Amino acid sequence: MVSITIDGKQIQVPEGTTVLRAAESADIKIPTLCDHPQLTPYGGCRLCLVEVEGARTLQPSCTLPVMPNMVVHTDTEKVTDARKFVLTLIFSERNHFCMYCQVSGGDCELQNAAYAEGMTHWPLQTNYSPFTVDASNPYFVIDNNRCILCRRCVRACAELVGNFTLGIEDRGANSVLVADLGNPIGESTCISCGTCVQVCPTGAIIDRQSAYNGREQDLTHIKSICTACSIGCGLNVLTRDNRVVRIDGDWDAQVNHGLLCAKGRFEPLVNDKERIATAMVRKGARMKAATTKEALNAAVNLIKAAEKDGAMVGAFITASASAEELHQFIQLFENVKNARYGTIGSIGYLQSMKTLALLAKIERESDLIRVTDSDCVLVIGADLILDHQVAGFMVKRNLPAGTKLILASNDDNQLAPFADAILDTKMGLVGALEDLVVVMAEKKTDLTSNAAKAAAYLKEAQSVGVIIGEIAVGSSTAKVLEAVTSLLDKLSSDGKTVKYITLKGQSNAYAAYLLGLDKPVDFHDLETVFVFQSEEILDQTFIQELETVPNLVVQSCYTNSLTAKAQVVFPSTIWAENQGSYINLEGKVQHSNQIIRPTESIPTLVETMQGLAKSLGSKVDSNWSDGLDRHKIVTVPKL
Amino acid sequence: MAKPKIASDWLAGCAGCHMSLLDIDERILQVLELADLRATPITDLKEPDESGVAVGILEGGINNSANEEVAHRMRSRCKVLVALGDCAVFGGIPAMRNFFTIEESLRRAYIETPSTDESGKIPSDPELAVPTKVRALNEVVDVDIFVPGCPPDADTIFYVLSELAQGRKPVLTDDKLQWH
Ligand code: SF4
Ligand code: SF4
Ligand code: SF4
Ligand code: SF4
Ligand code: FES
Repeated sequence: MVSITIDGKQIQVPEGTTVLRAAESADIKIPTLCDHPQLTPYGGCRLCLVEVEGARTLQPSCTLPVMPNMVVHTDTEKVTDARKFVLTLIFSERNHFCMYCQVSGGDCELQNAAYAEGMTHWPLQTNYSPFTVDASNPYFVIDNNRCILCRRCVRACAELVGNFTLGIEDRGANSVLVADLGNPIGESTCISCGTCVQVCPTGAIIDRQSAYNGREQDLTHIKSICTACSIGCGLNVLTRDNRVVRIDGDWDAQVNHGLLCAKGRFEPLVNDKERIATAMVRKGARMKAATTKEALNAAVNLIKAAEKDGAMVGAFITASASAEELHQFIQLFENVKNARYGTIGSIGYLQSMKTLALLAKIERESDLIRVTDSDCVLVIGADLILDHQVAGFMVKRNLPAGTKLILASNDDNQLAPFADAILDTKMGLVGALEDLVVVMAEKKTDLTSNAAKAAAYLKEAQSVGVIIGEIAVGSSTAKVLEAVTSLLDKLSSDGKTVKYITLKGQSNAYAAYLLGLDKPVDFHDLETVFVFQSEEILDQTFIQELETVPNLVVQSCYTNSLTAKAQVVFPSTIWAENQGSYINLEGKVQHSNQIIRPTESIPTLVETMQGLAKSLGSKVDSNWSDGLDRHKIVTVPKL
Repeated sequence: MAKPKIASDWLAGCAGCHMSLLDIDERILQVLELADLRATPITDLKEPDESGVAVGILEGGINNSANEEVAHRMRSRCKVLVALGDCAVFGGIPAMRNFFTIEESLRRAYIETPSTDESGKIPSDPELAVPTKVRALNEVVDVDIFVPGCPPDADTIFYVLSELAQGRKPVLTDDKLQWH
C-alpha cells in the first residue's frame, strides 16, 4: 500500500494505482474526458491535471501512478485555471454549438465539464473548419465536428472488442477519426457492436435510434439480459413511454462486462417484421381474427381430437424461452397422450456439452473470461465472428498481447484471419484433433505443418482455453467429442491449466438440457403440432418437416410461412415484454426483466400454456428448478 | 437615486432572446421599478441615450458592417455590456454559415433556394451593409456579462436583469447555466 495526501485527505491505495483512481476512492472528484474506467489510461485531454507538490508542472492524474507520500492538490486556482484553458482549447477546435447537438443538456461530458467550471462562453472562438460526417453505418453516425479526439472509441474498439477498426488519421488539429485506412465505417471491418457509441463522451458518435429521444435522465433505465445467444450479456435498457429507446451494455455484468454485439444492442430495435397482433383461427382457406379464448378452444379441440384418434402430437419450443416457460411446456405435454416434444433447435450444441461432461476428466466447464484469458486459445467448431460474438471479442482482444489462437473448424471460419494456426481438417475434425495429439506427443518441433505449429504454441502455453461450438449432429459427432476429450486430457496431463467451455446455442438451451429437453424429436407421423416459436428464426429443414402436418398451432411474434399454414395462431410477446429465468453458457442463472408492457391481446408463452393446461385439466406451475436434472450440471448453476 | 438605465438591441439573431425576455411576464413590472428601460427593439426609442446607459444588452452575433456599428455604439454608450443568448455569446445558429464562404451563402440564399425563380440575384447596393463572417460579440467588442442559452430561460433573464438593476454582477450556475 502507498500512502498519499490529496486535498489534505490521507489515502492508502495499492501500488500502481493512479492518482485519479486514488482520488475517486476517497470521493474526491477530478474532472476527466479521455479517461474511462474500462479502458487503459491515455492522458490525452489534460482535463484531469492536478498540482503535485515538488513537481515542476501540473500532472495528468489519470496516468500518474501514486508515489509514497505524494501531496496532491486538485482545487487550487492554478488547477482550475488550467482546466478552463484545456476546455477553451477543446472548444476552439471543432463545432460545439450545443443548441443543435443531440447530447446537449446532460448527456455530454464535455458540456458538463464546462458547466462545472462555470464557463459562460469561449475565450477563443472556434475556427470553423468543417470535418467529415460519416453516416454509412445503419446504426450510428460519426460526426467528427463534435469529436474531441479523446480516443475512447479507438481504445474500446481495440482493447475491449479486439476489432481494431478505428484509428486517428492526420495530426494535431487536423486529426480525424477514421475506420480502417479511411473507409466509410459502413464499408469497413466494423461489426456494429456499438461499443464506441457507448463510450463516446460527446455527440461525435450518435446512435440513430435514440438520438433526439430524450436525455438519459428523462429515460427509464432497466437492467436485463440479452436472450439472443447463450452468453446472456447484461443489458441496461433505456425506455420512454413504454418504448425501448436504446440498449446499452451493462458494465457491471459479470459475463460480458459491458460488451454487446449488434444482435444484442441494435438488432432488437430494428422494426422490419410484421408483428402478429391478435390470435387467429382458420376458417376454411382463411385465417380469422379470434379472441385468445376462441384460439385456446380451437387448440384444445385439436389436442382432444388427436388423443381420441390416437394420432401423434408434436410440440416444439424455442430454446430462447425462459426456464419457467420450458418447465410448463414439459408439464403440459407430458400429460398429452402420444406427445413427442423438444426444442426447436440447439441439439448440436447440447450434444457437445453432454458428451464432454461425461467423458472429459477435467471436471467442469469454466467461465468464459477465464477460458479466453489463457496463453493459448483453441476454438473448435465455432465461428465466433458470426455467433456468440462477445466470446469472439474476448478472444481477439487478447491476441496483440501474445495469446495464440488455434482454430479447428470444418467450414470457412471468419476467425481464420486472426488465427496463429489453423488445423488441417481435410481428414475431418476428428483427424485434425487426433493428428494434433499425436504431434504433441512427438519430441521434434518441426514448424512446417499447422498441427506442429499448434503443438508448439500449446507446449509454450501455461494455460490453455478451449471453446467448443456446435459440432454438427451426425455419425462423427461422438468421435469428434472423443477426440476433444483426449486433447483436453492430454493437455492437463502435460501440466497445463486447462479451462474449457461449450457454447450452448440459444439463450436458454442449457436450461432446456437440464430440464430434459435434449432429445431430438422424431417428426414421423406427427399430425398435430404445437410450435411455441416466439421470436425464434426457424431454419428451412424444420419448416419443411412441418409443412405437411395437417394441424399446426403456432405462437409467434411475427408472421412467417408456418403461421400462414397454421390452424391456430397465437401472437407472442417479444423479449422486452416478457420476463423469466435463464441459465447462460456458464451455468449462471440470470433474470430477463420485463422492460415494456405488451398490448393486452398478446400473451406470453406461459399464459398460452396455462390456458391450454386449464382446459385440458392438467397442472402446470413455475417451480422450474425442481425439474432440473442436477446430474447433468456441467458448470455450477448459481441457483 | 435615479434608476439605472437599460438599453437593448438585436443583431444577427432570431429575436427569440427578446421574446424570452418578454416571457418574464408581469415580472417586467418589477424590473421597471428597479430600472429605466430605454431604447429596445420593443420600445419606441431606437438608439441608446447618447448620454449613456448603465446596462447595454445585445442579442445576436455580428454578421455584417451594420451589426458592427450597432455593437460599437452600444459598447461606447453603456457601462456594462451583456451578450444575451447563444448567438451573441458564441455566434450561434447564424455561425453555421461560417463553414461556407460568404459568396456560397449569398448564392444559396438569393439564387439557389427552391422558391427563387431565374430572376434571383445577389443584392448589391452601396446602401446595404457589407456581409462578414459571423462573429460572437466578444470578437468585436469587450463583453462584461455572458448569458448563454438558445434562448436563455426567462427566469435566467429576470435574474440577470434584477441583479444588474441592483448594481450586482449576476453569476450563472446550475440551472441558469445552459448552452442551449
Ligand atoms: S458535443 Fe457536447 S459540447 Fe459539443 S456541441 Fe454537443 S453538447 Fe455541446
Ligand atoms: S461498432 Fe464496434 S467494431 Fe465498429 S467501430 Fe465501433 S467499437 Fe469498433
Ligand atoms: S468519436 Fe467520441 S470517443 Fe471517439 S475520439 Fe471522438 S470524442 Fe472521443
Ligand atoms: S453475444 Fe450473445 S448474449 Fe451477448 S449481445 Fe451478442 S447475442 Fe446477445
Ligand atoms: S482524463 Fe486525464 S488526460 Fe484525459
